[in-house]
Amino acid sequence: MDKKDIIASGMLEQYLLGELSADQCTIVENILAESQQVRDYYSQMESNFERMAQENAIAPPSQAKEFIMKAVANDTPSKKAHTLSRTKGKISYFTPIAAALAAIFLLSTFWMYYKWQDANEGLVEIEKETIDLRNRITVLEQNNTETQKWYQAINIPNTYQLTLKGNNVLPNSTAITYINHDQKTVILNPQGLPDIGEDKSYQMWADVDGEMINMGVILEDQKMVAMKYIEDAESVNITIEPKGGSDHPTVEFLISSAAI
Amino acid sequence: MQDDITLMNRVSIQDESALSLLYDKYSAALYGITLRICKDEMLAQEALQETFLKIWKNPQSYDASKGKFFTWANRIARNTSLNCIRSKKMFIQNTDLSVYEDKEVEEEPQDFLKLNGCLKNLDPHHQKAIELVYFNGLTHKEAHEEMGVPLGTFKSYIKQAVKKLRENYAVSILLSLFFIT
Repeated sequence: MDKKDIIASGMLEQYLLGELSADQCTIVENILAESQQVRDYYSQMESNFERMAQENAIAPPSQAKEFIMKAVANDTPSKKAHTLSRTKGKISYFTPIAAALAAIFLLSTFWMYYKWQDANEGLVEIEKETIDLRNRITVLEQNNTETQKWYQAINIPNTYQLTLKGNNVLPNSTAITYINHDQKTVILNPQGLPDIGEDKSYQMWADVDGEMINMGVILEDQKMVAMKYIEDAESVNITIEPKGGSDHPTVEFLISSAAI
Repeated sequence: MQDDITLMNRVSIQDESALSLLYDKYSAALYGITLRICKDEMLAQEALQETFLKIWKNPQSYDASKGKFFTWANRIARNTSLNCIRSKKMFIQNTDLSVYEDKEVEEEPQDFLKLNGCLKNLDPHHQKAIELVYFNGLTHKEAHEEMGVPLGTFKSYIKQAVKKLRENYAVSILLSLFFIT
């Protein structure tokens, strides 16, 4: 291939764009080296191409250059070395301080965490105690209210007290009853009645003209129990009955009796 | 050209200011090419940045006896842009295609990518031939297929276009000299 052929073949245009293979490049470069005419032709082509590219230039955004120059600055060996040495100097000077600060920070973090956990546990305990106290207050308030109620009930004028002492069937038993004929109330304090097992109950009866009338089953776990008031009762009596009470009293288990 | 050779000599000794001057002189022309090849501003910027970093890292690969700095820089920019496009395509193939598929079809030529200068004085088919190989990154083989003409015909389009450009630029140089004097 001679200089005329290479111009006619369009290889120079392809060479300019970098499209040719290594072998083809060698051929073109040899001819360029030998022929001033081809060199001038190619040089003109390059200039025209550059001009054409400048005519169609588009300004890139400014950050593109910033990016490049930053990357280049980091890549410069002297700067790298300088940066490294400065960094190294800083490391040797500040490392013990930084390490000490880090250790203090680490320890204080652990200490704070421990304290926080401790405080948290304490708080949980306090919360539990508060709930417990609140429950106890509620119970005390209920008891107080109940006591007040019973106190007022038995403290009304014309209320009189009867003590029902145990007979030979249950000699250690005692029950106290408060009767008010104006209010038509009977209140019993059963706390002196001994435990007789789960299958039995105490029951209270009123004797009216020789007939025993049911005044109700006594709830032993109560401090005070309101019983049924029966008109014209001559006495009050307590018997032991099967659990839940009976319609008629079991006379053999009459444990106490008091005339009104 | 002598200026560029001097600047490249300074780049080869890691003179950042020399690279900065080359950037100021050629970045817009090269960005005009990377943007027309990539048709995506982010990709084009990436290609431009990579081009100048390659220039910075391999200044010894520029041989001034073989051509001008811009010719060499353009080859780097062109290849880098084509690689960026290939990487993007590979990324799309490896991810959810549905997100990107329609986008490529919908892409319209952007106004700022239209060619200017003496190229506008060329016949449309010459203009197209130049645009494909010089600005769109196609090889002669790809470009003649794109234009639907035989390779020989395409090469003659390029030759005629280059000749006309040479004439146009010669006239414009004469005119500018005339106005200066």
